[in-house]
Amino acid sequence: MRYQLRHTTHYDYSGSVTLSHNEARLLPRELPWQRCRNSELTITPTAVRQRERVDFFGNRVVYFSIQEVHDSLDVTVKSHLTTLPRSLPDQHITLSWEQALRELAIGEHRVSSTQTLEHLHARLFALDSPFVQQSLDLVDYSRRCFTRNRPLVEAVLELNQAIFNEFTYDPEFTTLATPLQMVLESRRGVCQDFAHLAIGCLRSMGLAARYISGYMETLPPPGQEKLLGADASHAWLSVYIPGWGWLDIDPTNGTVPDERYITLGWGRDFADVTPLKGVMNGSGEHKLQVAVDVIPVPP
Amino acid sequence: MFNPALLPPELRTLLESYPQHDAHDELFSPEQLVRSPWKAVLSEIGALGPEVLSQRSEELQNLLHENGVTFNTYEDDPGKLRSWQLDCLPFVIGTEEWEILEQGLKQRSRLLELLVEDLYGERKVVDEGLLPAELIYGHPNFLFGAANSYGDRPLLILHGTDLIRDHQGQWQVLGDWTQSPAGAGYALENRITLARALPSLYRDAPLKRLAGFLQAQHRCLAGMARSQRDEPNIVLLSPGPASPGYFEHAWLANYMNFSLVEGDDLVVRDGQVSMRTLGGLTQVDVIVRQITDPWCDPLELRGDSLIGVPGLLQAARNGEVEIANAIGTGILEHPALASFLPGLCERLLGEKLLLTCRDTLWCGSADAIKTILSQPDEWQVRDIRDTTRVIYPDMLSLQELRQLRQSMFKSPHLYVGQRALRAAMTPGFNPKTQQFEAQAVNLRLFSLMEPDDLIKPARERQYRVMPGGLAWVGEPGTPLLDSRIVKDIWVIAPVPQPHISLLRHAIGPIVMTRDGKDMPCRVADSLFWMGRYGERIDNRSRLLREALARLLQEDQNEVDSSLLPDLLTALELEQPPVEPEPENTGDGGNRYTRDYLFMRDQLLSQFSEQHPSALPQLFSLFLRNSRAVRDHLGDDAWRTINAMRQKFNDLPRIQGAVSGQRSLEGVVTDLAAFYGLCNETMPHHYGWRFLDIGRFIERLLFSLALLKLALLTADKPGIPLWEVVLATTDNFTVYRRRYRSQLHPSAILDLLLFDEANPRSVGYMLRRLGRQIERLPQPESTPYRNRETRLVIQATSMLHLVDIDTLADLDKSASAREALSELLDQIIQPMSELSDAISHTHFSHVEALRQLVTMQTSV
Repeated sequence: MRYQLRHTTHYDYSGSVTLSHNEARLLPRELPWQRCRNSELTITPTAVRQRERVDFFGNRVVYFSIQEVHDSLDVTVKSHLTTLPRSLPDQHITLSWEQALRELAIGEHRVSSTQTLEHLHARLFALDSPFVQQSLDLVDYSRRCFTRNRPLVEAVLELNQAIFNEFTYDPEFTTLATPLQMVLESRRGVCQDFAHLAIGCLRSMGLAARYISGYMETLPPPGQEKLLGADASHAWLSVYIPGWGWLDIDPTNGTVPDERYITLGWGRDFADVTPLKGVMNGSGEHKLQVAVDVIPVPP
Repeated sequence: MFNPALLPPELRTLLESYPQHDAHDELFSPEQLVRSPWKAVLSEIGALGPEVLSQRSEELQNLLHENGVTFNTYEDDPGKLRSWQLDCLPFVIGTEEWEILEQGLKQRSRLLELLVEDLYGERKVVDEGLLPAELIYGHPNFLFGAANSYGDRPLLILHGTDLIRDHQGQWQVLGDWTQSPAGAGYALENRITLARALPSLYRDAPLKRLAGFLQAQHRCLAGMARSQRDEPNIVLLSPGPASPGYFEHAWLANYMNFSLVEGDDLVVRDGQVSMRTLGGLTQVDVIVRQITDPWCDPLELRGDSLIGVPGLLQAARNGEVEIANAIGTGILEHPALASFLPGLCERLLGEKLLLTCRDTLWCGSADAIKTILSQPDEWQVRDIRDTTRVIYPDMLSLQELRQLRQSMFKSPHLYVGQRALRAAMTPGFNPKTQQFEAQAVNLRLFSLMEPDDLIKPARERQYRVMPGGLAWVGEPGTPLLDSRIVKDIWVIAPVPQPHISLLRHAIGPIVMTRDGKDMPCRVADSLFWMGRYGERIDNRSRLLREALARLLQEDQNEVDSSLLPDLLTALELEQPPVEPEPENTGDGGNRYTRDYLFMRDQLLSQFSEQHPSALPQLFSLFLRNSRAVRDHLGDDAWRTINAMRQKFNDLPRIQGAVSGQRSLEGVVTDLAAFYGLCNETMPHHYGWRFLDIGRFIERLLFSLALLKLALLTADKPGIPLWEVVLATTDNFTVYRRRYRSQLHPSAILDLLLFDEANPRSVGYMLRRLGRQIERLPQPESTPYRNRETRLVIQATSMLHLVDIDTLADLDKSASAREALSELLDQIIQPMSELSDAISHTHFSHVEALRQLVTMQTSV
């Protein structure tokens, strides 16, 4: 699929801001199933010292600062992308989740013949991270998907469905950092919470899972035109399947991401891939408006 | 193990109670002979004798105390400031022994530099399986944000290593300090103090000198600057006076001639790091940071950091500023690295690791937890999230042990076991018993990247080791902060070393504008408030002293004619409650007694720690501001502050008016001494001017309020009250000499309002403020007068333009009183706005920082 992507973040401040330092992770990364033809980042007021780099996880990061006195900030990214179908694990991958744990060999530090570099790099994503801590409650919740000797892929897909079926999407409920425990008890949240929850479940079982930030194309109700700015940024996760690779799942929609998903980047959790964050001098409140358009481009 | 009879007689008494033990002894060999490095030192010590040694020890403590050498863990509570004892016996290391240690330490620094470069670069040690991924990525000090940031730049500039000698005489490394190793300044301060208290011992000992190392450190830091300016701007970034190491931060900044700054003093603009100074922004080339990794930058690291600088990591990444040590080096302090260093040394350096580390088990390794918990008395456990805490498994209750086991099995990679150690015995001198004692001692030694090697590739960078360091008494691993006794470390040189007498002489280039426009705004702010609070203490002390005198003189039954209510008003204290006149007038004495006692309590409350405007509270505000400018005050001025600290610590114990009066006398003279020293020793640049302006604004407002009370609003105006005013402003003698007469209001007015030659008069103070303000830096170049100048002119004109005749016959004429009241108000009003105006123009208060983060909320 070819897409034109537009993502605008607009802040209105009640007082003037004299200086701000910001970090944006808004430029899509290159992937075997994702080609990014060009990306254009527009910042108003004009940014100084805009610098792009690649972070620890391979994501594209843009640092910029604004030094003129301003009372609003507008960051808009326009990207042209092509997404390709992704390969999915063969139905016949019978590797059980217990075997997967043994192969990952968390904690052992020798590189053995069964320990590929990819295994080794995946182990980082089995550890606790700022937003995701393992717990016995998460183990309890995951247990029914992870029954004895069950193939890993099957168990993961069931977890994906379980969260989709049992949790209610509720943007009113959640805050920037809703504790996982609260999400689990209330059975409510948004995509960010469900991704964190699934990651917490998988890590509590001893597996490696990472958080993915991006977008998906939404379809208007049948017979209606798609509204401008109606899309939103999205989050899902990826599980490491030893011997195969990283498998994306989206518990918010109960799906396995396909061509309609656009990936910005990944990390241990939201903290590593926050789309836009900043520190500024100045007092007062702020108002935030976000508009995202994922527009399919006819071939 | 040693036989006292073999010792010369002068040593015999000192060593009478030195214990026999089976551990390695620093002083005696197994053959009961004095080890050779100690011989020279010991004969000098013996020559001094126990009495002299004891006296000198006391002198050492006094010197340390006067210089305020502290780890001030409890900033807000002056009573809890801890001072160390400095043992007059050093820890002595022989020449050959030192060479072995030195080689080992140099290798260790080289190894850690290569390791940290790899961890934030290629990470081949992880990919090759030399270090477990969990060990590194599970540590809170591995900064993902710093990865791929530094290239080949030098990262580990100064490195501190803690070690001990164990009971078998083997050196064992306990751990490393790789972010901002504390103690190098203390080591030098200890050496200076020891040299002053025991000049003969120090001068003649063939020991290696320290000054060269600090000079090299200065050269190294200056060499880091990219801009290659002649005088790179180097700042020392401290968390502030509340941090335990603040004394050392101020000391080092002073010694090295760096600006001592806090996070708020720095700002990243145009990608560069700048310091907010009186003259505007000044570019910073090198930051010596004393802030730990996660707190350095609220943008990329911990968002809740109030002591960091937003954008700092990005500036470092771009190479616009150099930071020593680089942000992220804290990962090298991971206690579990010890067990992997031998392998890493082979891989990264191709050498065998020279210095032994204490036995360490990383709990992420197979069977480590079992080994540790099956021998609970052999092992200590550390949680890497809080390495200051040592867990002793054999001291835990069954339940605590179960919890520990559970947490360890849940996240094994977060735990480290370290085998318990027994230390060698080192002699220390106890001044009370005048005897040598055997003690366990920890050492901290420092290595520094060779200044000339900064530009070489990482593999070729060499280090040099400070020939000395800091030792402290305590079982192996006792934190420096928890120790009571510190020791100097003497490395014996093969030949006598030239004595460098000017140890305190500042090194580095002389910056001509040290106290000029490059002064951080925060420093000016603190000096200003130090002036105001100090003067407030002075004014209140004088007034309180007079009030206590009246309290003692007055008859409790004459409350009706008492001055005390007016004095309570002047001190802004509560008046006795007004109660209905008792019906039985014959018993009226009770009311007087009750009121008298109430007023007495009010006055004495000024000594208590509870009352918000009482003297101890004012002093702690004064002290906080003084500490923040520690590096701008002379040693003598600082000694006076320490003397005052003692007095203020004792104030709350004051019970009666007489002892109160006496203490206040002391406070008044100490403050006079302090300001006198400031006037004499501080360069009369901006810093001094802000201090002076603070003082005179405070004094002016106080004098005006007092005049208004005494001449206009008092309940009991008249000669007794006027006497108090003159005494409080220290003008009684002047008045007597000049007028040789009864007190008269017009004469008082002339002396205290108009006489510009009298330093206590309003006229003088206005003139002085005007002159000082005129000479402050003007941030904007505009031909117009700024607000503070206009305020002073406004007040001064009121005073100059008043028709003196309208003020005549003050005690009889109502119109004269009205005229005076109007005049005083016209002066008070602009003067009470002056403080804010100055603060607004010069101190440029940093606005609060805010965090903005977007979240992901889509369907």
